Amino acid sequence: MSAVGNLVPARFLTLTAHLVIVITIFWSRENNVEACLPLDFTQEQYDNEDTKLVVALSVTLGLFAIELAGFFSGVSMFNCSQGLLSTAAHASASVALLFFLFEQWDCEFYWWILAFCRSVAGHIGLFLRSAVFSLHLLRSYSSSQCLD
Amino acid sequence: MAVSGKHTIMSSTPLQVLLYLNGWYFAAYFLAESLMFVFKGLMLPYPTANLTLDVVLLLLFLGLESLRIFYGWKGNLTERSLAMFVSVLILVLCAVLSVYYLLLQTFVLRLEFILNAVLLCFYSLEMLLGIMSISAFSRSKVY
Repeated sequence: MSAVGNLVPARFLTLTAHLVIVITIFWSRENNVEACLPLDFTQEQYDNEDTKLVVALSVTLGLFAIELAGFFSGVSMFNCSQGLLSTAAHASASVALLFFLFEQWDCEFYWWILAFCRSVAGHIGLFLRSAVFSLHLLRSYSSSQCLD
Repeated sequence: MAVSGKHTIMSSTPLQVLLYLNGWYFAAYFLAESLMFVFKGLMLPYPTANLTLDVVLLLLFLGLESLRIFYGWKGNLTERSLAMFVSVLILVLCAVLSVYYLLLQTFVLRLEFILNAVLLCFYSLEMLLGIMSISAFSRSKVY
């Protein structure tokens, strides 16, 4: 069964959904910043927390660029466990960020979501496995079967 | 299968990848837009004529996009420039519709803005690759 045929669009759609939610949070972050602050806050406190959230969101967007590059170059297309891990991470991140946005969670939760769903280990795993795997692919004839 | 005899493959793989992903993305986009129109119709003060116009244009968008992706897919794989040319023409119309949903419709949600911006990124890349493949196909000396 060609599992690649179903995994690639799933991975792409969850990745895009995550990206769309991150951009939406970037755009409408006032409510979340105000949730981190005490009831009467000064402008400097607001700017402080705002800057921290902007940094977190920019880090996320940078990691997205790396992941999109990896996805579109296709090096990890046949590595099903990587694809499954990526789909699961992005789906859970999208749901968590939806809650973050609608329930106006505290700013710190964003760092937790970032840590769990975009772990550096996941990215390193992507690069290592895709590097090893693309070498194998250069020597063999590829089929559309998932290889682990 | 890449080279057999003297015929090299001119189909553009990046364009094929983009068309495939665009098909899936547009399916999700259509679903999201339909749900958003239900939400907007209930929550926002819409004059009936505007809502009808927007929904009919969305259905038109679905038809045009399906046609465009079909012609682009077949044209790229069979290396025929006419089908690719039709696809690029319909792309212009689809881009106009996407800009309408991005800027000119009655009520634009932030989510719609972002979804249409991503769709326009797809379109710009596909237009570039489509024009390059039309020139590659017409230049070949197959016949």
